[in-house]
Amino acid sequence: MNFERIRQDFPILNKLVYLDSACMSLKPIQVIEKINEYYKEYPGCGGRGVHSISKKVDEEVFKARKEIQKLFNIKKESQIVFSKNTTESLNLVYNGLNIKGNIITTDKEHNSNLLPVIKLCRERGMKHIIVNSNNCVFDLADFEKKMNKGISLVSMVHTSNLDGSTIPAKEIIKIAHDNNSIVMLDGAQSAPHKEIDLKKLDADLFACSGHKMLGPTGIGMLYGKEEILEKLNPLIVGGETVTNSTYNSYEIEKVPNRFEAGLQHYSGIIGFGEACNYLRKVGMDNIMKQELKVNQIIDDGLRPIGGINILGPEDVRFRPGITSFTYKNKDVHQIALLLDHSKKIMMRSGMHCVHSWFNKHNLKGSVRASLYLYNNEEDAHKLVEGFKHVTKVIG
Amino acid sequence: MICVIAMVVFGILGIFSVKYRTIAKESFDCVFRRITLRPCTTGLDERLKGQITGKLMKRSPKIAAFTYKYFEVFSWLFLILLIGSLVYSGISAYNLIAYGNCGGPDPEDFCVFDPSTYSTDEACECTTDKDCTCPESVCKCLDGKCVP
Repeated sequence: MNFERIRQDFPILNKLVYLDSACMSLKPIQVIEKINEYYKEYPGCGGRGVHSISKKVDEEVFKARKEIQKLFNIKKESQIVFSKNTTESLNLVYNGLNIKGNIITTDKEHNSNLLPVIKLCRERGMKHIIVNSNNCVFDLADFEKKMNKGISLVSMVHTSNLDGSTIPAKEIIKIAHDNNSIVMLDGAQSAPHKEIDLKKLDADLFACSGHKMLGPTGIGMLYGKEEILEKLNPLIVGGETVTNSTYNSYEIEKVPNRFEAGLQHYSGIIGFGEACNYLRKVGMDNIMKQELKVNQIIDDGLRPIGGINILGPEDVRFRPGITSFTYKNKDVHQIALLLDHSKKIMMRSGMHCVHSWFNKHNLKGSVRASLYLYNNEEDAHKLVEGFKHVTKVIG
Repeated sequence: MICVIAMVVFGILGIFSVKYRTIAKESFDCVFRRITLRPCTTGLDERLKGQITGKLMKRSPKIAAFTYKYFEVFSWLFLILLIGSLVYSGISAYNLIAYGNCGGPDPEDFCVFDPSTYSTDEACECTTDKDCTCPESVCKCLDGKCVP
């Protein structure tokens, strides 16, 4: 795979080094053109009109759903519900599913998966159980020990945005299903970077965002097993969620339409579909290999620097797309600012919406380099050299 | 202390452009918190420190390191200079209104607002630097003419 050719699809890379893909990925020109195509060629409503522009929108939305279905190997396209982002998808489940038992999560949950759990537990009086990680690695034994029939929902971050490590989802799902629990995976960080076969994985629910996987902002999806989606109450109702209504009643639409109320983000859906098509053409395995190669250079370059503390597993293979680190007791925002203003290297600094983990470990945050298919070896070398310069300045 | 400078500078710029109003508001909040003995939570001071040092890193890492280390000292220094220049500007502006020149009752002092101090027309003929009406640091007598 020619990744240098791929870089040409992201013209902004001529101006800077972009290492913040865990927050927001860049968009290839193909996706941007596809979004523009909607506004230029067929800017109509989907699912409503009978005229040709409206039908074209329906057709393109259907194609997008198919592309997503192919990327994640989903049985039926109707198992894909479009949402605003991962956060909305997760909230749809927490608010729409009649959860009665306890909920178990990891200790590295993003706020989007932690806060709804806390809220739900406060409101309904259930227990929130946390599985500890051992040196940033998910402790399967601890999970097995804490898992019991009283747990209704196992809701976990598939790949952590904090350190890039992935939980052993297959084993977790097996144990959870043995205990009659539903498993929901927050796939915001895993979906863009690794091959995910939802049929094989057997997760009951899976959420991800388009903007982290070359797609536009404001679009995400929730995958669910048919029987679970059938039980799920819509978060909001309105246009296109019903087949008929009277002044005091309505007949709810089939899945997934019942969850997609009001006019949809058509350009976003179409762009998301194009992004999935792009990823599939490149190949998720190739993407992972490229990220691993680049991340290895970063790790080799940064690790020997005195005072640096790289979070997560020591072996880069267990966190292929992310290097998150602290340096002495220095302010992480200062490091990111200096790298930006001196070398045009864009990195994220702070707690990355995982405040709970940083507070537990008494850390003020970290600087995070998160990679994607468009990053190359040169980017890695620039970061290492840039950071060495920064250490000379901040001491 | 950089927040105080930022508040004054961006406050003035904010009158003319919306672009600077957010940062002016942020710096005001920062100053207010510092006055009330609370830490600045906007991170503006840290951001400015990072931006300034980052730009300096491109030119000289040594100067950047020095600036980074003594940033607070520089901030205080610039704050004193800012206050000093604001005080002098205020006095001069008052003199200009009250006496027609910023030198006050003694009009022979150099006045930046007084165009005549820069004029070489009135004293274009000269034999020495002292013949020029503008101060020696500003004008010189060259070839019988006052040249700024």
